[in-house]
Amino acid sequence: MGFDLLEPRTVAEAVELHARDGNAVFLAGGTALLILQRQGLPLPRRLISLRGIPGLDEITAGPGGGLRIGALATLRQVERHPLVVRRVPLLAEALRQVANVRVRHTATLGGNLAHGDYRLDPPAPLLVLGAQVRAVGIGGEREIALAAFFRGLFETALQPGEVVTELAIPPTPPSGGTYLKYALSSNDWPCVGAAALVALDDHGRCREVRLALTAVAAAPVLVRGLDELARGEPVSDRLAARLADIAAAQVEPVGDQRGSEWYKREMARVFARRALLAAARRAEAGPVGDGTKEPVA
Amino acid sequence: MEAMERQIRLTVNGQEHELTIRDNTLLLWLLRDDLKLVGTREGCGTGVCGACTVLLDGRPVNSCLTLAAQAAGHHVTTIEGLATNGRLHPVQEAYIEERGFQCAFCTSGFIMMTKALLDEIPNPSEEEVREYLSENICRCAGYPDILRAVQNASRKLAARGR
Ligand SMILES: Cc1cc2nc3c(=O)[nH]c(=O)nc-3n(C[C@H](O)[C@H](O)[C@H](O)COP(=O)(O)OP(=O)(O)OC[C@H]3O[C@@H](n4cnc5c(N)ncnc54)[C@H](O)[C@@H]3O)c2cc1C
Ligand code: FES
Ligand code: FES
Repeated sequence: MGFDLLEPRTVAEAVELHARDGNAVFLAGGTALLILQRQGLPLPRRLISLRGIPGLDEITAGPGGGLRIGALATLRQVERHPLVVRRVPLLAEALRQVANVRVRHTATLGGNLAHGDYRLDPPAPLLVLGAQVRAVGIGGEREIALAAFFRGLFETALQPGEVVTELAIPPTPPSGGTYLKYALSSNDWPCVGAAALVALDDHGRCREVRLALTAVAAAPVLVRGLDELARGEPVSDRLAARLADIAAAQVEPVGDQRGSEWYKREMARVFARRALLAAARRAEAGPVGDGTKEPVA
Repeated sequence: MEAMERQIRLTVNGQEHELTIRDNTLLLWLLRDDLKLVGTREGCGTGVCGACTVLLDGRPVNSCLTLAAQAAGHHVTTIEGLATNGRLHPVQEAYIEERGFQCAFCTSGFIMMTKALLDEIPNPSEEEVREYLSENICRCAGYPDILRAVQNASRKLAARGR
Protein backbone atom coordinates (compact mmCIF):
# COMPACT_ATOMS: atom_id res chain seq x y z
CA MET A 1 0.00 0.00 0.00
CA GLY A 2 1.20 3.48 -0.69
CA PHE A 3 1.84 6.29 1.71
CA ASP A 4 2.62 9.95 1.55
CA LEU A 5 5.69 11.40 3.14
CA LEU A 6 5.47 14.76 4.84
CA GLU A 7 8.65 16.67 5.58
CA PRO A 8 8.28 19.32 8.26
CA ARG A 9 11.22 21.66 8.95
CA THR A 10 10.55 22.24 12.65
CA VAL A 11 9.35 20.17 15.61
CA ALA A 12 6.34 22.46 15.99
CA GLU A 13 5.37 21.83 12.39
CA ALA A 14 5.72 18.06 12.87
CA VAL A 15 3.45 18.17 15.92
CA GLU A 16 0.98 20.31 14.01
CA LEU A 17 0.90 17.90 11.05
CA HIS A 18 0.14 15.05 13.43
CA ALA A 19 -2.64 17.00 15.07
CA ARG A 20 -4.30 17.22 11.65
CA ASP A 21 -4.07 13.47 11.01
CA GLY A 22 -3.99 11.40 14.17
CA ASN A 23 -3.24 8.23 12.19
CA ALA A 24 -0.01 9.61 10.80
CA VAL A 25 3.22 8.08 12.07
CA PHE A 26 6.61 9.71 12.61
CA LEU A 27 9.51 8.41 10.57
CA ALA A 28 13.10 8.75 11.77
CA GLY A 29 15.70 6.31 10.35
CA GLY A 30 12.86 4.12 9.11
CA THR A 31 14.65 0.85 9.89
CA ALA A 32 11.83 -0.43 12.11
CA LEU A 33 8.97 0.97 10.05
CA LEU A 34 10.18 -0.19 6.65
CA ILE A 35 10.70 -3.72 7.95
CA LEU A 36 7.12 -3.75 9.18
CA GLN A 37 6.04 -2.71 5.71
CA ARG A 38 8.16 -5.47 4.19
CA GLN A 39 6.51 -7.95 6.50
CA GLY A 40 3.20 -6.95 5.03
CA LEU A 41 1.93 -4.75 7.84
CA PRO A 42 0.13 -1.82 6.32
CA LEU A 43 1.79 1.49 7.01
CA PRO A 44 -0.47 4.45 7.68
CA ARG A 45 -1.47 6.73 4.86
CA ARG A 46 0.91 9.45 6.07
CA LEU A 47 4.43 9.35 7.39
CA ILE A 48 5.89 12.47 8.94
CA SER A 49 9.64 12.41 8.41
CA LEU A 50 11.69 13.98 11.21
CA ARG A 51 14.99 13.74 9.34
CA GLY A 52 14.78 17.13 7.71
CA ILE A 53 14.47 19.01 11.00
CA PRO A 54 17.79 20.76 11.57
CA GLY A 55 19.62 20.40 14.88
CA LEU A 56 17.82 17.32 16.20
CA ASP A 57 20.90 15.12 15.91
CA GLU A 58 23.33 17.08 18.04
CA ILE A 59 25.34 15.59 20.88
CA THR A 60 26.50 18.08 23.51
CA ALA A 61 27.89 18.16 27.03
CA GLY A 62 25.21 18.58 29.69
CA PRO A 63 25.35 21.28 32.34
CA GLY A 64 27.61 20.15 35.20
CA GLY A 65 28.49 16.85 33.51
CA GLY A 66 26.46 14.28 31.67
CA LEU A 67 25.31 14.84 28.12
CA ARG A 68 22.45 15.53 25.79
CA ILE A 69 21.82 13.46 22.73
CA GLY A 70 19.44 14.65 20.01
CA ALA A 71 16.75 12.09 19.20
CA LEU A 72 17.72 11.98 15.53
CA ALA A 73 21.37 11.13 16.19
CA THR A 74 22.11 7.75 14.63
CA LEU A 75 23.29 4.91 16.83
CA ARG A 76 26.64 5.00 14.99
CA GLN A 77 27.01 8.75 15.56
CA VAL A 78 26.41 8.22 19.28
CA GLU A 79 28.71 5.21 19.65
CA ARG A 80 31.63 7.05 17.97
CA HIS A 81 31.16 10.45 19.60
CA PRO A 82 34.15 11.38 21.79
CA LEU A 83 31.94 12.73 24.59
CA VAL A 84 30.02 9.46 24.73
CA VAL A 85 33.15 7.33 24.59
CA ARG A 86 34.69 9.36 27.41
CA ARG A 87 31.79 10.06 29.74
CA VAL A 88 29.49 7.07 29.23
CA PRO A 89 31.59 4.28 27.67
CA LEU A 90 28.89 1.87 28.82
CA LEU A 91 26.53 3.32 26.21
CA ALA A 92 29.10 3.11 23.40
CA GLU A 93 29.85 -0.49 24.39
CA ALA A 94 26.16 -1.39 24.16
CA LEU A 95 25.51 0.40 20.87
CA ARG A 96 28.43 -1.40 19.23
CA GLN A 97 26.46 -4.60 19.79
CA VAL A 98 23.27 -3.48 18.05
CA ALA A 99 22.42 -5.03 14.65
CA ASN A 100 25.14 -4.17 12.08
CA VAL A 101 27.08 -1.07 11.09
CA ARG A 102 24.67 -0.24 8.22
CA VAL A 103 21.61 -0.35 10.44
CA ARG A 104 23.43 1.71 13.07
CA HIS A 105 24.30 4.33 10.45
CA THR A 106 20.56 4.80 9.80
CA ALA A 107 18.68 3.91 12.98
CA THR A 108 18.24 6.77 15.43
CA LEU A 109 18.39 6.69 19.21
CA GLY A 110 14.98 8.38 19.51
CA GLY A 111 13.45 5.88 17.08
CA ASN A 112 14.94 3.03 19.03
CA LEU A 113 13.32 4.16 22.27
CA ALA A 114 9.99 5.18 20.71
CA HIS A 115 9.73 1.83 18.93
CA GLY A 116 9.14 0.15 22.29
CA ASP A 117 10.16 -3.36 21.20
CA TYR A 118 10.89 -5.54 24.26
CA ARG A 119 14.21 -6.77 22.86
CA LEU A 120 16.03 -3.52 22.19
CA ASP A 121 19.57 -3.20 23.58
CA PRO A 122 19.97 0.57 24.15
CA PRO A 123 17.25 0.88 26.80
CA ALA A 124 19.25 -1.24 29.26
CA PRO A 125 22.37 0.97 29.46
CA LEU A 126 20.23 4.11 29.30
CA LEU A 127 18.13 2.91 32.23
CA VAL A 128 21.15 2.39 34.46
CA LEU A 129 22.46 5.79 33.38
CA GLY A 130 19.20 7.36 34.60
CA ALA A 131 18.38 8.97 31.24
CA GLN A 132 15.49 11.39 30.77
CA VAL A 133 13.45 11.61 27.57
CA ARG A 134 12.41 15.03 26.37
CA ALA A 135 9.27 15.07 24.26
CA VAL A 136 7.23 17.78 22.57
CA GLY A 137 3.52 17.47 21.87
CA ILE A 138 0.58 19.66 21.15
CA GLY A 139 0.41 20.52 24.87
CA GLY A 140 4.05 21.60 25.06
CA GLU A 141 7.31 20.05 26.20
CA ARG A 142 7.88 17.59 29.04
CA GLU A 143 10.57 15.33 30.47
CA ILE A 144 9.92 11.68 31.15
CA ALA A 145 12.28 9.55 33.23
CA LEU A 146 13.27 6.58 31.09
CA ALA A 147 12.34 4.37 34.06
CA ALA A 148 8.73 5.49 33.56
CA PHE A 149 8.89 5.51 29.76
CA PHE A 150 8.49 1.83 28.85
CA ARG A 151 5.01 0.62 29.65
CA GLY A 152 4.63 -2.71 27.91
CA LEU A 153 4.90 -4.47 24.57
CA PHE A 154 5.35 -1.69 21.98
CA GLU A 155 3.85 0.68 24.51
CA THR A 156 5.61 3.79 25.78
CA ALA A 157 4.60 6.80 27.84
CA LEU A 158 4.51 8.93 24.68
CA GLN A 159 1.13 10.44 23.89
CA PRO A 160 -0.02 10.13 20.29
CA GLY A 161 1.64 12.91 18.35
CA GLU A 162 4.47 13.50 20.81
CA VAL A 163 7.93 13.80 19.27
CA VAL A 164 11.00 12.68 21.20
CA THR A 165 13.49 15.49 20.75
CA GLU A 166 16.31 14.67 23.10
CA LEU A 167 17.74 12.31 25.63
CA ALA A 168 19.47 13.77 28.69
CA ILE A 169 21.99 11.67 30.58
CA PRO A 170 22.79 13.07 34.02
CA PRO A 171 26.33 13.01 35.44
CA THR A 172 27.24 9.53 36.64
CA PRO A 173 29.08 8.89 39.91
CA PRO A 174 32.65 7.54 39.48
CA SER A 175 31.86 3.94 38.65
CA GLY A 176 32.44 0.98 36.39
CA GLY A 177 29.86 -0.12 33.87
CA THR A 178 29.28 -2.81 31.32
CA TYR A 179 26.68 -4.17 28.92
CA LEU A 180 26.63 -7.89 28.28
CA LYS A 181 24.54 -9.13 25.39
CA TYR A 182 23.72 -12.78 25.11
CA ALA A 183 22.62 -13.51 21.55
CA LEU A 184 22.57 -16.57 19.35
CA SER A 185 24.86 -14.93 16.79
CA SER A 186 26.88 -11.74 16.89
CA ASN A 187 24.36 -9.54 15.05
CA ASP A 188 21.18 -11.04 16.40
CA TRP A 189 18.66 -9.50 18.72
CA PRO A 190 19.39 -10.30 22.35
CA CYS A 191 18.09 -13.40 24.10
CA VAL A 192 19.04 -11.43 27.23
CA GLY A 193 20.88 -8.14 27.70
CA ALA A 194 22.27 -6.95 31.04
CA ALA A 195 23.64 -3.48 31.83
CA ALA A 196 25.32 -2.87 35.17
CA LEU A 197 26.84 0.15 36.85
CA VAL A 198 28.75 -0.21 40.13
CA ALA A 199 30.17 2.61 42.26
CA LEU A 200 32.58 1.68 45.06
CA ASP A 201 33.69 3.63 48.13
CA ASP A 202 37.33 4.17 49.14
CA HIS A 203 37.43 0.77 50.81
CA GLY A 204 36.20 -1.03 47.72
CA ARG A 205 32.73 -1.57 49.16
CA CYS A 206 29.56 -1.01 47.18
CA ARG A 207 28.28 2.52 47.26
CA GLU A 208 25.68 2.11 44.54
CA VAL A 209 24.62 -0.74 42.27
CA ARG A 210 22.40 -0.35 39.23
CA LEU A 211 21.23 -3.09 36.90
CA ALA A 212 18.84 -3.22 33.94
CA LEU A 213 17.78 -6.17 31.83
CA THR A 214 16.28 -6.31 28.36
CA ALA A 215 14.42 -8.93 26.32
CA VAL A 216 13.18 -10.66 29.47
CA ALA A 217 9.82 -8.94 29.98
CA ALA A 218 7.28 -7.03 27.91
CA ALA A 219 9.41 -3.93 28.60
CA PRO A 220 13.00 -3.44 29.77
CA VAL A 221 13.44 -3.88 33.52
CA LEU A 222 15.32 -1.54 35.86
CA VAL A 223 15.95 -3.87 38.81
CA ARG A 224 14.85 -2.48 42.15
CA GLY A 225 16.05 -3.12 45.68
CA LEU A 226 19.72 -3.93 45.02
CA ASP A 227 21.26 -1.16 47.11
CA GLU A 228 19.52 -2.35 50.29
CA LEU A 229 21.52 -5.56 50.08
CA ALA A 230 24.69 -4.27 48.46
CA ARG A 231 25.48 -0.94 50.12
CA GLY A 232 28.59 -1.17 52.27
CA GLU A 233 29.28 -4.74 51.23
CA PRO A 234 32.52 -5.82 49.56
CA VAL A 235 32.08 -7.20 46.05
CA SER A 236 32.11 -10.97 46.05
CA ASP A 237 30.80 -13.84 43.94
CA ARG A 238 28.31 -14.54 46.69
CA LEU A 239 26.98 -10.98 46.77
CA ALA A 240 26.70 -10.90 42.97
CA ALA A 241 24.79 -14.19 43.02
CA ARG A 242 22.34 -12.89 45.61
CA LEU A 243 21.80 -9.67 43.61
CA ALA A 244 21.26 -11.73 40.47
CA ASP A 245 18.58 -13.74 42.27
CA ILE A 246 16.78 -10.49 43.09
CA ALA A 247 16.98 -9.55 39.41
CA ALA A 248 15.72 -12.94 38.20
CA ALA A 249 12.69 -12.59 40.48
CA GLN A 250 11.77 -9.29 38.81
CA VAL A 251 11.81 -10.42 35.18
CA GLU A 252 8.73 -11.79 33.44
CA PRO A 253 10.06 -13.31 30.25
CA VAL A 254 7.94 -14.06 27.25
CA GLY A 255 9.33 -17.08 25.46
CA ASP A 256 10.47 -16.30 21.92
CA GLN A 257 12.69 -17.81 19.21
CA ARG A 258 15.71 -17.04 21.34
CA GLY A 259 14.67 -18.84 24.49
CA SER A 260 11.77 -20.20 26.51
CA GLU A 261 10.42 -18.38 29.51
CA TRP A 262 12.43 -20.62 31.86
CA TYR A 263 15.63 -20.33 29.83
CA LYS A 264 15.45 -16.56 29.65
CA ARG A 265 14.93 -16.25 33.38
CA GLU A 266 17.96 -18.45 34.08
CA MET A 267 20.07 -16.57 31.54
CA ALA A 268 18.93 -13.30 33.08
CA ARG A 269 20.30 -14.59 36.38
CA VAL A 270 23.61 -15.65 34.82
CA PHE A 271 24.14 -12.45 32.84
CA ALA A 272 23.06 -10.22 35.72
CA ARG A 273 25.72 -11.83 37.90
CA ARG A 274 28.42 -11.62 35.24
CA ALA A 275 27.56 -8.00 34.41
CA LEU A 276 27.69 -6.96 38.08
CA LEU A 277 31.08 -8.60 38.59
CA ALA A 278 32.48 -7.15 35.37
CA ALA A 279 31.25 -3.66 36.26
CA ALA A 280 32.76 -3.96 39.75
CA ARG A 281 36.11 -5.01 38.27
CA ARG A 282 36.04 -1.92 36.07
CA ALA A 283 35.16 0.25 39.04
CA GLU A 284 38.21 -1.14 40.84
CA ALA A 285 40.50 -0.76 37.84
CA GLY A 286 39.67 2.86 37.15
CA PRO A 287 36.23 4.40 37.48
CA VAL A 288 34.80 6.82 34.94
CA GLY A 289 32.13 9.40 35.51
CA ASP A 290 31.60 12.80 36.96
CA GLY A 291 34.32 13.81 39.40
CA THR A 292 36.96 11.58 37.81
CA LYS A 293 39.64 13.28 35.81
CA GLU A 294 38.82 13.36 32.14
CA PRO A 295 41.69 13.24 29.71
CA VAL A 296 41.96 16.53 27.90
CA ALA A 297 40.47 16.13 24.43
CA MET B 1 -4.41 3.30 -2.73
CA GLU B 2 -1.51 4.71 -4.66
CA ALA B 3 1.19 6.76 -3.03
CA MET B 4 1.74 10.36 -3.94
CA GLU B 5 4.30 11.13 -6.55
CA ARG B 6 7.05 13.63 -6.06
CA GLN B 7 9.94 15.09 -7.95
CA ILE B 8 13.31 14.57 -6.35
CA ARG B 9 16.83 15.59 -7.15
CA LEU B 10 19.71 13.49 -6.01
CA THR B 11 23.30 12.90 -7.00
CA VAL B 12 24.25 9.35 -7.89
CA ASN B 13 27.90 8.59 -8.57
CA GLY B 14 28.60 12.26 -9.08
CA GLN B 15 25.81 12.79 -11.57
CA GLU B 16 22.71 14.77 -10.71
CA HIS B 17 19.33 13.25 -11.51
CA GLU B 18 15.85 14.63 -11.40
CA LEU B 19 13.26 11.91 -11.11
CA THR B 20 9.60 11.43 -10.43
CA ILE B 21 9.06 8.75 -7.80
CA ARG B 22 6.31 7.42 -5.59
CA ASP B 23 6.72 8.26 -1.92
CA ASN B 24 7.01 4.57 -1.03
CA THR B 25 9.79 3.75 -3.52
CA LEU B 26 12.84 2.23 -1.87
CA LEU B 27 16.26 3.58 -2.80
CA LEU B 28 17.16 0.06 -3.94
CA TRP B 29 14.40 0.12 -6.59
CA LEU B 30 15.19 3.62 -7.71
CA LEU B 31 18.78 2.56 -8.38
CA ARG B 32 17.96 -0.73 -10.07
CA ASP B 33 14.75 0.03 -11.96
CA ASP B 34 14.93 3.72 -12.74
CA LEU B 35 18.68 4.21 -13.11
CA LYS B 36 19.48 0.63 -14.22
CA LEU B 37 22.36 0.46 -11.74
CA VAL B 38 21.91 -3.24 -11.13
CA GLY B 39 25.22 -3.81 -9.33
CA THR B 40 23.32 -3.10 -6.12
CA ARG B 41 21.55 -6.35 -5.25
CA GLU B 42 18.61 -7.42 -3.20
CA GLY B 43 19.24 -10.40 -0.94
CA CYS B 44 17.18 -10.45 2.23
CA GLY B 45 15.32 -7.16 1.89
CA THR B 46 15.42 -6.76 5.68
CA GLY B 47 18.82 -5.30 6.52
CA VAL B 48 20.72 -8.47 7.40
CA CYS B 49 22.73 -9.52 4.32
CA GLY B 50 24.45 -6.38 3.02
CA ALA B 51 23.98 -7.15 -0.69
CA CYS B 52 22.16 -3.83 -1.15
CA THR B 53 24.82 -1.65 0.53
CA VAL B 54 25.33 1.81 -0.97
CA LEU B 55 26.97 4.92 0.45
CA LEU B 56 24.68 7.78 1.41
CA ASP B 57 26.85 10.87 1.89
CA GLY B 58 29.71 8.43 2.39
CA ARG B 59 28.02 6.34 5.08
CA PRO B 60 27.11 2.73 4.35
CA VAL B 61 23.36 2.06 4.45
CA ASN B 62 20.95 -0.67 3.44
CA SER B 63 19.23 0.62 0.31
CA CYS B 64 16.52 -1.97 1.01
CA LEU B 65 15.58 -0.07 4.18
CA THR B 66 15.93 3.46 2.85
CA LEU B 67 13.21 5.39 1.06
CA ALA B 68 14.31 7.03 -2.16
CA ALA B 69 12.73 10.21 -0.85
CA GLN B 70 15.12 10.08 2.14
CA ALA B 71 18.02 10.31 -0.32
CA ALA B 72 16.66 13.44 -2.00
CA GLY B 73 19.25 16.19 -1.94
CA HIS B 74 21.98 13.76 -0.92
CA HIS B 75 24.88 11.95 -2.57
CA VAL B 76 24.59 8.25 -3.30
CA THR B 77 27.55 6.12 -4.35
CA THR B 78 27.05 2.66 -5.82
CA ILE B 79 29.52 0.06 -7.01
CA GLU B 80 29.26 1.56 -10.50
CA GLY B 81 30.64 4.83 -9.15
CA LEU B 82 33.95 3.57 -7.73
CA ALA B 83 36.05 3.32 -10.87
CA THR B 84 37.52 6.59 -12.16
CA ASN B 85 38.56 7.19 -15.77
CA GLY B 86 38.21 3.53 -16.55
CA ARG B 87 40.50 2.52 -13.68
CA LEU B 88 39.14 0.28 -10.96
CA HIS B 89 39.18 1.55 -7.40
CA PRO B 90 41.96 0.03 -5.24
CA VAL B 91 39.34 -1.82 -3.18
CA GLN B 92 38.00 -3.44 -6.37
CA GLU B 93 41.53 -4.36 -7.48
CA ALA B 94 42.20 -5.91 -4.10
CA TYR B 95 39.10 -8.13 -4.32
CA ILE B 96 40.22 -9.33 -7.77
CA GLU B 97 43.81 -9.97 -6.67
CA GLU B 98 42.73 -11.97 -3.62
CA ARG B 99 39.91 -13.71 -5.49
CA GLY B 100 37.50 -12.36 -2.88
CA PHE B 101 34.42 -13.74 -4.62
CA GLN B 102 32.99 -16.77 -6.38
CA CYS B 103 29.49 -16.18 -7.75
CA ALA B 104 29.88 -12.47 -6.83
CA PHE B 105 26.28 -11.91 -5.78
CA CYS B 106 27.46 -10.41 -2.48
CA THR B 107 30.53 -8.67 -3.84
CA SER B 108 29.28 -5.18 -4.56
CA GLY B 109 27.95 -5.05 -1.00
CA PHE B 110 31.26 -6.22 0.44
CA ILE B 111 33.23 -3.76 -1.67
CA MET B 112 31.03 -0.82 -0.65
CA MET B 113 31.34 -1.84 3.01
CA THR B 114 35.11 -2.18 2.66
CA LYS B 115 35.33 1.29 1.14
CA ALA B 116 33.24 2.71 4.00
CA LEU B 117 35.29 0.84 6.60
CA LEU B 118 38.62 2.11 5.26
CA ASP B 119 37.27 5.67 5.01
CA GLU B 120 36.06 5.49 8.63
CA ILE B 121 38.96 3.49 10.10
CA PRO B 122 42.00 3.74 7.78
CA ASN B 123 44.07 1.04 9.44
CA PRO B 124 41.61 -1.40 10.99
CA SER B 125 42.60 -4.32 13.18
CA GLU B 126 41.36 -7.74 12.13
CA GLU B 127 38.83 -7.50 14.96
CA GLU B 128 37.51 -4.21 13.56
CA VAL B 129 37.26 -5.67 10.06
CA ARG B 130 35.34 -8.66 11.35
CA GLU B 131 32.99 -6.47 13.34
CA TYR B 132 32.33 -4.08 10.45
CA LEU B 133 31.65 -6.83 7.92
CA SER B 134 30.00 -9.23 10.34
CA GLU B 135 26.55 -8.99 8.81
CA ASN B 136 27.54 -9.12 5.16
CA ILE B 137 26.59 -12.59 4.05
CA CYS B 138 28.47 -14.57 1.40
CA ARG B 139 26.68 -17.80 0.57
CA CYS B 140 29.78 -19.03 -1.24
CA ALA B 141 31.50 -18.48 2.10
CA GLY B 142 34.75 -17.09 0.76
CA TYR B 143 35.35 -15.21 3.99
CA PRO B 144 39.13 -15.82 4.39
CA ASP B 145 39.71 -14.45 0.87
CA ILE B 146 37.48 -11.49 1.64
CA LEU B 147 39.47 -10.71 4.81
CA ARG B 148 42.68 -10.82 2.77
CA ALA B 149 41.13 -8.52 0.20
CA VAL B 150 40.33 -5.97 2.92
CA GLN B 151 43.90 -6.07 4.23
CA ASN B 152 45.26 -5.76 0.69
CA ALA B 153 42.95 -2.80 0.02
CA SER B 154 44.06 -1.13 3.22
CA ARG B 155 47.72 -1.43 2.13
CA LYS B 156 46.95 -0.16 -1.36
CA LEU B 157 45.14 2.90 -0.02
CA ALA B 158 47.95 3.61 2.45
CA ALA B 159 50.55 3.35 -0.32
CA ARG B 160 48.55 5.67 -2.52
CA GLY B 161 48.27 8.14 0.36
CA ARG B 162 44.49 7.56 0.11
C1 LIG C 1 18.41 -5.93 10.63
C2 LIG C 1 18.07 -5.26 11.92
C3 LIG C 1 18.61 -5.77 13.11
C4 LIG C 1 18.33 -5.16 14.32
N1 LIG C 1 18.92 -5.64 15.46
C5 LIG C 1 18.76 -4.97 16.62
C6 LIG C 1 19.45 -5.36 17.80
O1 LIG C 1 20.23 -6.31 17.81
N2 LIG C 1 19.25 -4.64 18.93
C7 LIG C 1 18.44 -3.55 18.94
O2 LIG C 1 18.34 -2.91 19.98
N3 LIG C 1 17.78 -3.16 17.85
C8 LIG C 1 17.91 -3.84 16.70
N4 LIG C 1 17.24 -3.42 15.59
C9 LIG C 1 16.24 -2.37 15.72
C10 LIG C 1 16.78 -1.00 15.46
O3 LIG C 1 17.62 -0.62 16.52
C11 LIG C 1 15.57 -0.09 15.38
O4 LIG C 1 14.85 -0.43 14.21
C12 LIG C 1 15.94 1.37 15.29
O5 LIG C 1 16.66 1.81 16.40
C13 LIG C 1 14.72 2.25 15.14
O6 LIG C 1 15.15 3.55 14.88
P1 LIG C 1 14.71 4.30 13.54
O7 LIG C 1 15.25 5.67 13.63
O8 LIG C 1 15.07 3.53 12.34
O9 LIG C 1 13.13 4.28 13.77
P2 LIG C 1 11.90 4.32 12.76
O10 LIG C 1 11.76 3.04 12.05
O11 LIG C 1 11.95 5.55 11.93
O12 LIG C 1 10.73 4.49 13.84
C14 LIG C 1 10.47 3.49 14.81
C15 LIG C 1 9.24 3.89 15.63
O13 LIG C 1 9.52 5.01 16.47
C16 LIG C 1 8.71 6.13 16.13
N5 LIG C 1 9.62 7.29 16.21
C17 LIG C 1 10.84 7.40 15.60
N6 LIG C 1 11.45 8.53 15.98
C18 LIG C 1 10.61 9.16 16.83
C19 LIG C 1 10.70 10.39 17.57
N7 LIG C 1 11.81 11.17 17.52
N8 LIG C 1 9.65 10.74 18.34
C20 LIG C 1 8.54 9.94 18.42
N9 LIG C 1 8.42 8.77 17.76
C21 LIG C 1 9.44 8.38 16.97
C22 LIG C 1 8.16 5.85 14.76
O14 LIG C 1 6.92 6.45 14.57
C23 LIG C 1 8.05 4.33 14.80
O15 LIG C 1 6.90 3.93 15.47
C24 LIG C 1 17.49 -4.02 14.37
C25 LIG C 1 16.94 -3.52 13.18
C26 LIG C 1 17.23 -4.12 11.96
C27 LIG C 1 16.66 -3.55 10.72
S1 FES D 1 18.94 -6.75 0.78
FE1 FES D 1 19.35 -5.08 2.06
S2 FES D 1 20.49 -5.98 3.62
FE2 FES D 1 19.86 -7.72 2.48
S1 FES E 1 30.63 -14.86 -3.74
FE1 FES E 1 28.78 -15.94 -3.91
S2 FES E 1 27.62 -15.07 -2.31
FE2 FES E 1 29.53 -14.24 -1.97
